[in-house]
Amino acid sequence: MIIVKDLTKVYKLNKKQMLELKTKKSMKKALDKLSLEARPGEIYGLLGPNGAGKTTALRTIATLLKPTEGEVKVCGFDTVKESEKVRKSICFLTNEIKLDPQFSPKYMFNFFGRLHGQDEKAINERREKLFHYFGIKDFEDKKIDELSTGMKQKASIAVSLVHDPEVVIFDEPTTGLDIITARSVTEYLKQLREDGKTVIISTHIMTEAEKLCDRIGIIINGVKVIEGTLNEILVETKSEELEDAFFELYKQHNREEV
Amino acid sequence: MLNGTKNIVKKELSRVFHDKKMVFSLFIMPAVMIVGMYSLMGTLLGNMMSDIEEHVPSVYIQNAPADLDEMIQTTGYEADIEYLEESDNIDDLKDGIFNGTVDLLVVFDEGFSDTIGAYQAAGDPIPEVKTYYNTAEDYSSAARESFVSRVLYSYQQGLLTQRLGNMEQLTVFFIDKDPNASVIVDEKKQDGRILGMLVPFLLNIMLFAGAMGLGVDAITGEKERGTLSSMLVSPIKRGEIVFGKLISLAIMSSISAAVYVVSIVVAMPILMNGATGGELGAVSLQFSPLEVIMLFVILIVVVYLYVAIVALIAVLARTSKEANTYVMPAYILVMLGSIMTYAGTGDTKLANFFIPIYNSAVSIQNLLMGELTLAQFGATVLTISVLAAIITSLITRAFNSEKIMFNA
Repeated sequence: MIIVKDLTKVYKLNKKQMLELKTKKSMKKALDKLSLEARPGEIYGLLGPNGAGKTTALRTIATLLKPTEGEVKVCGFDTVKESEKVRKSICFLTNEIKLDPQFSPKYMFNFFGRLHGQDEKAINERREKLFHYFGIKDFEDKKIDELSTGMKQKASIAVSLVHDPEVVIFDEPTTGLDIITARSVTEYLKQLREDGKTVIISTHIMTEAEKLCDRIGIIINGVKVIEGTLNEILVETKSEELEDAFFELYKQHNREEV
Repeated sequence: MLNGTKNIVKKELSRVFHDKKMVFSLFIMPAVMIVGMYSLMGTLLGNMMSDIEEHVPSVYIQNAPADLDEMIQTTGYEADIEYLEESDNIDDLKDGIFNGTVDLLVVFDEGFSDTIGAYQAAGDPIPEVKTYYNTAEDYSSAARESFVSRVLYSYQQGLLTQRLGNMEQLTVFFIDKDPNASVIVDEKKQDGRILGMLVPFLLNIMLFAGAMGLGVDAITGEKERGTLSSMLVSPIKRGEIVFGKLISLAIMSSISAAVYVVSIVVAMPILMNGATGGELGAVSLQFSPLEVIMLFVILIVVVYLYVAIVALIAVLARTSKEANTYVMPAYILVMLGSIMTYAGTGDTKLANFFIPIYNSAVSIQNLLMGELTLAQFGATVLTISVLAAIITSLITRAFNSEKIMFNA
């Protein structure tokens, strides 16, 4: 269970960043009073263009960033005050977080299993199961450095799930993957849903959101502009497809900002 | 030890020790290079010395007294000697010495033996032997030194005996007939002085260099590669991660410093043998158990401090390149702090033992001479520990900062 309440995140910009963003403001509001709820047994999709604040939201849920205002609760624990307990019950996967390329998937799996305080027997059982599912067994002893992008991503996913977390946070889980690997990832997310886990993902691939997510929240410029099931969103925006709905909303809300 | 810290130390160590290239470049190559370099230098120096010894100098002697040749034969002085008359021009020979083709020119005053023989009382003329040689030429310098000490000195002694009959008249008293018996010295202190100049400096530099090479990659490198954040989402305290990193870095820096120091100790005699022809006796060290413990404690806190300094810089830097640039001033500071022991012969002012870096170098120096007091030791360890603790807490704060860790 993830509860985000009035989450506002403001970044202080240094002079270089201000120049890059062509702004004179020394603050950038990445998220503005974002509220959402992701429940066990469902996949929540966070949709938005680049720079909308998706990653900031997920990082805050994963305790890596602290809210400027508002609060985030994961499995009933506050992400600031009880961040270790939160980290115990989540897995967070993003492109920027990588596995040490000098080690094998097997070594990394065992290492993170131990960091999560699991015993060797549980780690080995879990590894057998996950490595078998993602087809990592054949290269489990190879250095991660020598693996292809898809293999690396699969290994990252398997390692991040070592402690069988209640809450799964995936930042653009299928970006950069071929269709086959992407499919195995989405299939696994569905299975996690079946197992009653809370899954939250961010994506800008509309078809992925359509097929996978039980509920969708669209953020533009740090503000959640709509939330609901696919049908609810299509009805509300009077659109045929999610992509049309997205463009409609983008036109409305991006103009307001300018 | 904390569970997270233990696991991270294990992982960091296996990261280095399972990588053959890393092991080679960190631990094996420096040793091979130092031993190789010193051996090469020693051999070259040795070759140079024996080359000079084997060289037969070309020597010209003008106005040689009749009995000089006989004297040269008896002393066994070896050279290509050519005798010149007063009328011969010596300017070409001086040019030859200048250019290094001639090694030595010896000019006796005209009528040398007659002037000596005619000497009666004070004020009578005393003849001169002039030598011309080139101090920039090894052969020339060696030829002159050998000619003066072996030929001219013996010749002078012989003439003196002739004139006085009894040489003992010249010796009123002896000074130290047996010079070795006169020296009363604490061998340990003397050896310690030699090592005390070199070792603190070397140890400090090597420890910091080791920490520098490893720390930047282990922290800034991991930050750049995105592998550090994977640890940040695991349910362990940031402090545990910092501690794990620092301890593993300290272990590896110590090993790397040990490799350097051992290689230098092994290679030094090879170099010295070449330079002095093996005249330098072995420098031995003897420590009491207390001194061993003190040295050990000093080294541990110093390694930890250096690793912490490097880690703090590494965590604040955004790229490895940036980190390597920022770490240089710290390296220079460590060099300056420890090079001061080169000049001094041990500091005794207690206040100076509260100056970090310098205090570690001077403590090791005093320890090697057997003069480190408990107060000095305490001040050193206390200062370094406090500083290291402050830096560790700063690193932990940096690890907690989203701005530093995620550039957010």
